[in-house]
Amino acid sequence: MAPKTRLMVCTVVVVLTGGTALPVAASSWTRGYVVGTYQYAFRYGGRPDFTRGAEIEPGVDCPHGSTTNFANPDQTRIALARQKWRSKQEIDWIVAPPGLDQVRDPGFTRLLIWDRAISYRGYKPGIETYVNPWAADDPGQPEVTSRIAEGFNLDGKINPTDFVSPDGEKGIDNALYRAGGCYASWRARDLTNAFSAALHQRYLEGGLYTMVIRISGNQDPMNDSDATMEIGYSPDKIVKDARGGIAVDYSYRILKSAQYTKLKAKIKNGVVETEQVEHLHTPRIARYYHQTGDTNLTKGKIRLNIVPNGLSGTGLIGGYRNWRDLYVENSFPSPRGAGFADIQLHEDHIALYYALRRKADGMLNPKTGQYDGISTAYRITLSSAYVVDADKSVKIPLQSDFYPPELWRRKAFESLKANIIKGIEARIPQAVPPGILEAGYPQLEQKFPVGLPGKDFFLKTLDRPHYPDGVGRDDDGNPIDDQGERIDSRGDKLDEEGDPLKPPQARQQVSNGAPATATMAQEQ
Amino acid sequence: MKRSFAIGFILAEFFASAGISIAADAPPAAAASGPAKLAQASDNLPMVPPAKPGVFTAQKRDDSRFHLVVAGHKFTTRSDIEKYLAYRAAELTMEQKASWFTLAESRANGDTAPMPKRDPAGLRYSFRMDYFRPVWRYKTSSSSAWKTWSPFAGAAFISDDAKSITDFEVSADIVLHKGQMDDADPLAFEAGAVSDLLINQVSPPE
Repeated sequence: MAPKTRLMVCTVVVVLTGGTALPVAASSWTRGYVVGTYQYAFRYGGRPDFTRGAEIEPGVDCPHGSTTNFANPDQTRIALARQKWRSKQEIDWIVAPPGLDQVRDPGFTRLLIWDRAISYRGYKPGIETYVNPWAADDPGQPEVTSRIAEGFNLDGKINPTDFVSPDGEKGIDNALYRAGGCYASWRARDLTNAFSAALHQRYLEGGLYTMVIRISGNQDPMNDSDATMEIGYSPDKIVKDARGGIAVDYSYRILKSAQYTKLKAKIKNGVVETEQVEHLHTPRIARYYHQTGDTNLTKGKIRLNIVPNGLSGTGLIGGYRNWRDLYVENSFPSPRGAGFADIQLHEDHIALYYALRRKADGMLNPKTGQYDGISTAYRITLSSAYVVDADKSVKIPLQSDFYPPELWRRKAFESLKANIIKGIEARIPQAVPPGILEAGYPQLEQKFPVGLPGKDFFLKTLDRPHYPDGVGRDDDGNPIDDQGERIDSRGDKLDEEGDPLKPPQARQQVSNGAPATATMAQEQ
Repeated sequence: MKRSFAIGFILAEFFASAGISIAADAPPAAAASGPAKLAQASDNLPMVPPAKPGVFTAQKRDDSRFHLVVAGHKFTTRSDIEKYLAYRAAELTMEQKASWFTLAESRANGDTAPMPKRDPAGLRYSFRMDYFRPVWRYKTSSSSAWKTWSPFAGAAFISDDAKSITDFEVSADIVLHKGQMDDADPLAFEAGAVSDLLINQVSPPE
């Protein structure tokens, strides 16, 4: 800074402060962090060494333990018996497919059959349930019964249904935990038991997305009454150290994109508390590319606990999320479809749908008089990093740049989300968009063991999505016919590698002479 | 258990595309009809036809309690008529700016049906249609006297020939509530959820 300019600044400061003496000269500071773990702030209350029959780890949070939906034939029978339009024989055959022990992989075969069956639990046949959860009976959801939870008092009130924080703060709003905290895949003392949480962590560390935080101020990093926090997406993948942990002090760019927010904050003894902002944009917790995006928390805020040396920290991100968005993002965690995941994870997202809507506690919709949001909190850990501004030309990269099928999968997911929300609001059953592998289609058609007695029963009787030839897609985004077989643009069948099933036949040629070539080919 | 569970999922998720061997037994014939038709999307919002005068009545008993009656002459099915009453209960709840209602069961001395109990540690619901149990009274062509049937008495549903029923009334007392519903109460019904489920299923009886 040139001496003249410095003199002017000094004069301005004196004028603004009315000539009073300034406190000890402030020094600007900046600290950066990369988020190393990112998960729902669910508080585990069970004993990991305890099992009792089908119940898993009862605890103060979930007295009957984790959810056991579709964990065994009895559970699946309960789910299917709710559809009055199913015959007893149909339920019997689905629950215990005849001749299942004769196929090579009975477990996977049964999974595909169950997936197809539980995907149609509407008030009448033909309504895909996960796309139209409102059209199905409520299967019931265990809820967290304990009074302790992490999170924030988002509404400033202390209501009877609110939680108390582990530190004793009353009025904690974390209704998502109340609604989904007994799901086995999220409920555990650590990530080794919580399968979904562990998988999300793996993809975060694997570079699916990166979240960074930058805190700055002019007083002291551990005590600053006027600090600033920025949170956002980084295009740089997390760097691991030699022991598998998050390497410290690497540089990450922060993008001031749709997933970026700048907040005012106060710091007291290393506890960073931000203001509550109307919209808090951050990278969204995700396991697959199609789930990535903006969290967009309403009335959001962040609290961090930074260790004295500044190298690491823990924290909470909270606010209200639209419960419909949460339903879609959580119900379709994998490209395999919602029913497939529910069977594998022993969860029932139809039950979650109802739990989310009745536990909604924020974002009052003046038109409907209903709450559109549900209070939510995410738990994070931090590792020290250099967080630097990115060049303005850098945008959030498309995963499809590296793996093309992700593009159609994301488009299919967005169509799915639009259909689900349209159906919920209009109360009109919506179709499954092509590319969403719901009800085991086309997996069941492609992988069904031909030797299973009753194969025709399952393939012809159970509902599934139907599309005109060439509109449906397989796992890799290839066009398929209605029977699930891969086809080319002319409708000819292809093998799994994309090669024609039959050698190409010579086509009729327009000529004045006899079509000798075509005739010979056909005779062969 | 957990480990095998997780491994199973990973295997299924990442290796599901692997081929499955084919057993030699011939499959039996299909036991039922072909695949159901895809649910068709439409822009026409669902609407329950308006009821004729006298089909539905709601009497306000106090600030939050209503006595609802659905009456008709043409008996269809118990399920159809009770669903219509449940739908009207949900709609009334929302019209009154409440968000959920509880069914006040009309029990009498000697009733044998067990009372549904709260189970705070068990599953929670937005509604349990099995517990929406209104009481019936009806006339048949052979008599001008009203007969009653209670779901709590332990007797099978109306034993008279359905075609002989000339008049029927299905009634329920409900109490309206605002705020977050008591989802541990088996007799609690979230009005919006009930309305969503039933709107495409019901029509007023004749």
